[in-house]
Amino acid sequence: MSVLIGDPVLDELRQILGPGHVLTGKADRLNRARVPAPFPVHRWAERMPDLVVLPASTEEVAEVLKLANRLRIPVVPRDGGTGLTDGAVPLCGGIVVDVKRINAIREIDLGNRTCTVGTGINALKLNEVLARHDLIYPDDPASYPCSLVGGRIGTSGWSLIGSRYGHSRDLVLSFDHVLPTGKVIHVGDGIGRKITKSSSGYQLKHLFMGHQGTLGIATEATLKLFPRPEAEFSPFWAFEDYDSAYRAVGALARAGVATFAGAVLFDEWKVAYLRRDDEAYIPQPSSVKALVCAALYGYEDEVRAGGRRLMRIARSHGARYLGDEISEGDWAARHDRYATPLHGRTRSGQVVPMSWHCEDASINYTGLPAVRLAWHEIADRLRRESDVFDDWGMFAYTNGATGADYLTEIDIGIWEQRLDDTAWEAWVRAKRDLAAVSLAHGGSISACHGSCREGEVDLVPEELGGGYDVMLDIKRTIDPNNIMNPGKYLLDQAYAEKS
Amino acid sequence: MPDPEKEFAEEWRDAAYNCFSSGHKFCREVCPVMQVTRNESWSPTAFHANVVAMEKGELEVADVAADYVNCTGCGACELRCPNSLFTGDFYRFRTRTVDLVKAVRGLAVEQGLHQPGWQRWNLLTDERRHEPVLGATPVEQARVRDWADGLDLPIGGESILFVDCEAAFHRTSVPRSVARILNLAGYPFGLMNEQWCCGGPAAEMGYEEQARRFARHNLDDWRAAGVRRVLVLDPHDYITFTEDYPKYFGDAYDIEIVLVVELLAELIREGRLTPHVPVERAVTYHDPCRLNKRKGVWREPREILRAIPGLTFHDVDRVTQWSYCSGGGGGLPVEKPELTAKISEQRVGKAAELGVDTLVSACPWSERPLSEAGAARSIDVVDLHELLAESLGVAP
Repeated sequence: MSVLIGDPVLDELRQILGPGHVLTGKADRLNRARVPAPFPVHRWAERMPDLVVLPASTEEVAEVLKLANRLRIPVVPRDGGTGLTDGAVPLCGGIVVDVKRINAIREIDLGNRTCTVGTGINALKLNEVLARHDLIYPDDPASYPCSLVGGRIGTSGWSLIGSRYGHSRDLVLSFDHVLPTGKVIHVGDGIGRKITKSSSGYQLKHLFMGHQGTLGIATEATLKLFPRPEAEFSPFWAFEDYDSAYRAVGALARAGVATFAGAVLFDEWKVAYLRRDDEAYIPQPSSVKALVCAALYGYEDEVRAGGRRLMRIARSHGARYLGDEISEGDWAARHDRYATPLHGRTRSGQVVPMSWHCEDASINYTGLPAVRLAWHEIADRLRRESDVFDDWGMFAYTNGATGADYLTEIDIGIWEQRLDDTAWEAWVRAKRDLAAVSLAHGGSISACHGSCREGEVDLVPEELGGGYDVMLDIKRTIDPNNIMNPGKYLLDQAYAEKS
Repeated sequence: MPDPEKEFAEEWRDAAYNCFSSGHKFCREVCPVMQVTRNESWSPTAFHANVVAMEKGELEVADVAADYVNCTGCGACELRCPNSLFTGDFYRFRTRTVDLVKAVRGLAVEQGLHQPGWQRWNLLTDERRHEPVLGATPVEQARVRDWADGLDLPIGGESILFVDCEAAFHRTSVPRSVARILNLAGYPFGLMNEQWCCGGPAAEMGYEEQARRFARHNLDDWRAAGVRRVLVLDPHDYITFTEDYPKYFGDAYDIEIVLVVELLAELIREGRLTPHVPVERAVTYHDPCRLNKRKGVWREPREILRAIPGLTFHDVDRVTQWSYCSGGGGGLPVEKPELTAKISEQRVGKAAELGVDTLVSACPWSERPLSEAGAARSIDVVDLHELLAESLGVAP
């Protein structure tokens, strides 16, 4: 434990939270030192916090932050801990503020169609309750069964059906936010808790979303709700080559169908990866080299009409429809299918448990083919450098309804059991190179996870340009003592400049 | 690190990495303990990650033994694991969190690391041959068949009815109902000569040597009496007899284990039992974890409920019930009764939302905590066997 956190501090924290909610055990800390992002397991101990607190209210979070600010103790917020960047991983020890206990549903406002919840709640659990009112909260990340609302705010998350319903930034209307000083503010559009559009003042909501815990902790959020869709249509199509599939996905996304919730393009590496469990799943002939799927949600009559239009468009691009059973099953498995550790293979074909990294750039449609080739080259280099890496192929998902840009994802398997310093260095170098390709094609390093992972983070100042200097100024102003998640996003330099 | 720990870490390492590498944590929101504590240290993911940390020399079993108390052994996490859910057992490497938790508890006991409540419970069980389910009132070998007073059941025979400690000494209406129903159907069975606790709870709490001794006694007793078939009404016993005993005795274990709920559904199907007395209750069914989540038994209890006239049955599907639990399993109520109570309260709350007056279970161990939580909400907790007996006109 650091010298800062002696017994008097522990006593004070126990006063604030009750003795059962201040955890100092080694396992308590180890289990809050990592997230699913690639992780140097052999250096686990370096990521350990000094202690963990489990607050139950905004007030308790505020008291903890006041204490930490007074004593200059680093604080790392943690919610689901399911992020694919390492926002919730402590880099400088300190206190992990784990907000999972703040998970009550405070209000379901049927008149204004909103709900207000503690940020420790999971969207799937929330939707179980909303179903009674025939409503949904349609924030649908791959981690839908386990991610929590606070993490969605802290990362400004991305939703698989965001082209229809918007992403976390659109779905979260406002929230209580505890600043690094312990002061509690409410941010949204204007002052309103349930206002969806205001031009009053600066638009602070966006500032306090996606900061990866560097600007404070959201504790209670008001969310936008939608009618539970009556119908879902999720056709999957097979293609004999990537180029046809690429043209098809572009045409589908640009069609302007109102119920369109998203389209996904799977390249041949991804198809090959999925074939690794074909015997357990549904085999496809070897002529299938690429796949496209689309999803539509709404009332049955509108989904049926939109679906017919998309089917026509796909067929005109050489698509072969895979049928209702595969389409429905595959879409239903979208959260579970992302990565199966046992799909990991060494070059000789040995099955090994691999963790997955998913690069998540935002790339314009016209940049997708070039980025794809450059990224696979980097993955190939990694694989040649070490047998702990494996290329699991690429997806491209529409970011929005007009088809301008795509969450562009290459999945790389990493055999964490065998990670050592050399392999980790190779990995960090590859991360930097992947990010550089995104920027070279006018894209953004991250569409959904955040860009503070080792390697890529070095390019964030380049991506944001003058905007990064503004970030430094804001960080210094809001967090004068650099207690919130220090070390992230290279923001420590804000304080170096000051001195 | 002591050698047994090293061996343990080596044995479980790859399985632990399979969870650690996945990192999904889809298990978390279905875990009953996690739902009421929100403490990530007590999540299935943490139980696996700790093994990785042990292998890396970051943890010893002494650091984590107390954490592994926080599991009811319900098996929801295994069902919700994307590693298992998506590829099934294609790689013959299914996630086995329940076994892992048992193994860590066993390792802890082996190292002399005891949880006080469990140690006391198993000492008393060892002394009395039965679990101390009546608290201060001792359970005695001489009284293990008291529940059957007046039923004139024979001792021994090809088929015997095994009654778990909770039902034999506490919820005696359950075995009485079962016995009366089987008699009504003309299904021949007897009672065990000298029944001891099945040993399952000891195994779950880490006292495996004791569990094996009890299992040995029971198997020897069955063999001596020429028993071929054991009828089981308690899901926990069913797990012990179909999973632990085969592990202890290997191929030599040739006893047929029959789950009473499955047998009764069959007897109804064959027309040998016809529920006819209307039971005017609005009910929902609690899928006992060990039946639904661990053994895939969920059809037969519903078949029985649908055969009972007068019932208004508000069913909640078995997958939704993956995240339901009474909190009564895995030794949790012995060591942390306050968590069991919270889990039961939550389960009864789900029933209350349906507007029912009765929660039907099929597991004696769930019925005590559920009844306590039900009392606060005026919801009766009734055993499925009791309900069927009522509708057959043979109330205990």
